[in-house]
Amino acid sequence: MLRDLVSALDYAVCAESALALFVGTFLMIFYGTLRLSPSAAERFANIPLSDQVEDPRDE
Amino acid sequence: MNQVTNDGDGGIDEFSYDDDIVRKFVTATILWGLIATLVGLVVAILLVMPSLTGGMPWLSFGRLRPLHTNAAIFAFAGNAIFAAIYYSTQRLCKARMWSDKLSRIHFWGWQLIIVAAAISLPLGITQSKEYAELEWPIDIAIAVIWLFVFGGNFMMTLIHRRERHMYVALWFYIATIVTVALLHVCNNLVVPAGWFKSYSIYAGVQDAFMQWWYGHNAVAFFLTTPFLGLMYYFLPKAAERPVYSYKLSIIHFWSLVFIYIWAGPHHLHYTALPEWACTLGMLFSLMLWMPSWGGMINGLLTLRGAWHKVATDPVLKFFVVGVTFYGMATFEGPLLSIKSVNALSHYTDWTIAHVHSGALGWNGFMTFGMLYWLIPRLFQTKMWSERMVGVHFWTGTIGILLYIVPIYAAGLMQGLMWRAIDDTGNLVYPDFIETIQTIVPLWWLRVLGGALYVGGVSMLAFNAFMTWWGRPATYEVPVHRAPRLSKEYHDAPVPKSDLEKAPVVEIGRKIDIWSQMGWHRRWERLPIKFTVLTTLAVIIATLFELLPTFLIRSNVPTIATVKPYTPLELAGRHLFVSEGCYNCHSQMIRPMVAETKRYGEYSKPGEFIYDRPFQWGSRRIGPDLAREGGKQSSKWHWDHFNNPSNVSEGSVMPAYQHLLTEDLKFEGIKPHVQAAAYLGAPYTPDEIENSASLARRQAEVIAADLVAQGGPAVMQGKQAIAMIAYLQRLGTDLFRELEEQQAPKTDDELKPGEKQDEEAGQTPASASSTDQTGEN
Repeated sequence: MLRDLVSALDYAVCAESALALFVGTFLMIFYGTLRLSPSAAERFANIPLSDQVEDPRDE
Repeated sequence: MNQVTNDGDGGIDEFSYDDDIVRKFVTATILWGLIATLVGLVVAILLVMPSLTGGMPWLSFGRLRPLHTNAAIFAFAGNAIFAAIYYSTQRLCKARMWSDKLSRIHFWGWQLIIVAAAISLPLGITQSKEYAELEWPIDIAIAVIWLFVFGGNFMMTLIHRRERHMYVALWFYIATIVTVALLHVCNNLVVPAGWFKSYSIYAGVQDAFMQWWYGHNAVAFFLTTPFLGLMYYFLPKAAERPVYSYKLSIIHFWSLVFIYIWAGPHHLHYTALPEWACTLGMLFSLMLWMPSWGGMINGLLTLRGAWHKVATDPVLKFFVVGVTFYGMATFEGPLLSIKSVNALSHYTDWTIAHVHSGALGWNGFMTFGMLYWLIPRLFQTKMWSERMVGVHFWTGTIGILLYIVPIYAAGLMQGLMWRAIDDTGNLVYPDFIETIQTIVPLWWLRVLGGALYVGGVSMLAFNAFMTWWGRPATYEVPVHRAPRLSKEYHDAPVPKSDLEKAPVVEIGRKIDIWSQMGWHRRWERLPIKFTVLTTLAVIIATLFELLPTFLIRSNVPTIATVKPYTPLELAGRHLFVSEGCYNCHSQMIRPMVAETKRYGEYSKPGEFIYDRPFQWGSRRIGPDLAREGGKQSSKWHWDHFNNPSNVSEGSVMPAYQHLLTEDLKFEGIKPHVQAAAYLGAPYTPDEIENSASLARRQAEVIAADLVAQGGPAVMQGKQAIAMIAYLQRLGTDLFRELEEQQAPKTDDELKPGEKQDEEAGQTPASASSTDQTGEN
């Protein structure tokens, strides 16, 4: 069944749909990342600098 | 599992980090780094002095080159990333590794795998798939150790962490673990034909596609993502300042995960792979420019305000050069994926220079930087010689440049000489050996550069040993106290939309709230969900590429005249694979004027349906062999194995005299035929049962032919006869019908697709769909 389904597809569209899939997801993550608050980003970025547990640990 | 004590005070744990396992991996990294680079130096020397080892089979270039690549990737880089992951994960999670026992099983299991590789590859036990050469028993061990022991221990540590947010380095480690497991398992699905031999379930075009999906992503997810995790942890540590942009690191991560997995087909431009797949691979490779350079810039800008330290701190020097080479290699990679550039660079030394700028510069220097930062901390004493660290840095840097610059030049020269055509339409350099002899002086410079690099690694080994020698009698083990993370985590209340008072429909407000990405922040705290989503991203991209190639028949049109190999040819093919001939000879003629003039009719996808594994190769130190059948006499091949220079003056191929003296095990051919038949090759039960006697009969014919051409008598039992049978078969099936009819078609009789299209833009896939096909 899967073989029939895929055989019926026009596989030339794979490249375009792959591109659309990527661009859509990328834009979503890009936008979401930009909305990360500066204070949270700073806190996350500082995690490796100390081997001790820092408080507050939660976001 | 964790060595944790609880003081009963509101769930406060006391714990220590397991640095002993990091010390073990650091030691293994240095040891295997020395061996990997030394073997690399040996194979570089063998190219300029092919008779140096006196024809000893286990020291030939074809067998040692895979040993070098496997040692560099899985032993040196592998142990380095394990050291980095074990050290940084514990500290980023504020938790000891979940199981000390699993950590040790991982360490010793991985070393055992490396030793098995170091023994089996020189013995000629190989699948012949680049960076996936190891045979199936070792592959199973790799899967178990990697996924269940290492991956299981890592995931359980994440689950039991004491830091709510998973730092971005951990994301890169997650992507590494799941993707490498997926790549390894999918590419190594085989049917065993004994303990030391297997046949891929994929054939020809599909095998090539699968292999380079694996090969490219092995570079991506074994040599890039874990090293980026290393960079995002150790560079801020060494610079004592946070990463320049945490937001950029998030974008860097997701971009790489989404893009890298698509890029593999750019390794197969102008081959018999469908054009749509190559275009897709090229497109995504070009897109890799953005995130890769974003990552490089993020790394370098982490040093903002600390560049004065770089002048004095050798650790930062290593990191800066390493990150710079990352930028160079990730600029060049997309460049090489562009079809017109690839047409020039593919099969030449340009690829070798590109790979080594990444391996020596990025992987090597990031590892050295990490090791020099770790060693004093792990052995709890000062580095034995800071001065020697500086000397290592400069020796290594000069060594890399002395390696790659001549090899870039060699690659360009090869590519231009192979394609040069004079005013009369003929090749300017028709003799392949001339194109090789021209670059031999550049290969000598590579030896010098490689020797300097090995010298640097030797300094590291000596310096590390002397530092270890001066260690304290017992190591201090700091104890940390921290509360456990609560099992329940209450998210912040759902934020209000900024559009609350704006005159928009309700759906607009919901989209605004959704786009604040609170859901993504939750994922970043949930290791299992995060891992599943990363795996899904990789699998979806993979299916988009692989499913059409595997399920649509028109991608690989069958050719009626292409038949399975005879038992003797199959035995010869096994020898061809064992000797690692694919390391120097391709079997893929691209549809370009210069290639078809030099080698003959371009390769069609349907010609490879019985090729398990495919033998297209990736490099031409010797000429292409796709149409080798019938080009030379059997006597010529015999003499060529005996001493290549006798029939091909100036050849850099070593002698294969053992093929002339060692007996072929005819009774051992049957399992090969059985495996091929099991995978679909149409052998009759009689052919399978009598494979030994059929092989003997064909060997006698070739041996008689050899005698008639002035060769030695009674050689039908020798391995060389099987190899000759295989070589004489290569590329001949396409013309079998024409020979039998004794009436070749004229140009007018050929269908349009049958005409040899010598325009570089023509794809073999499209041409071959109408070319002598029995069914389409």
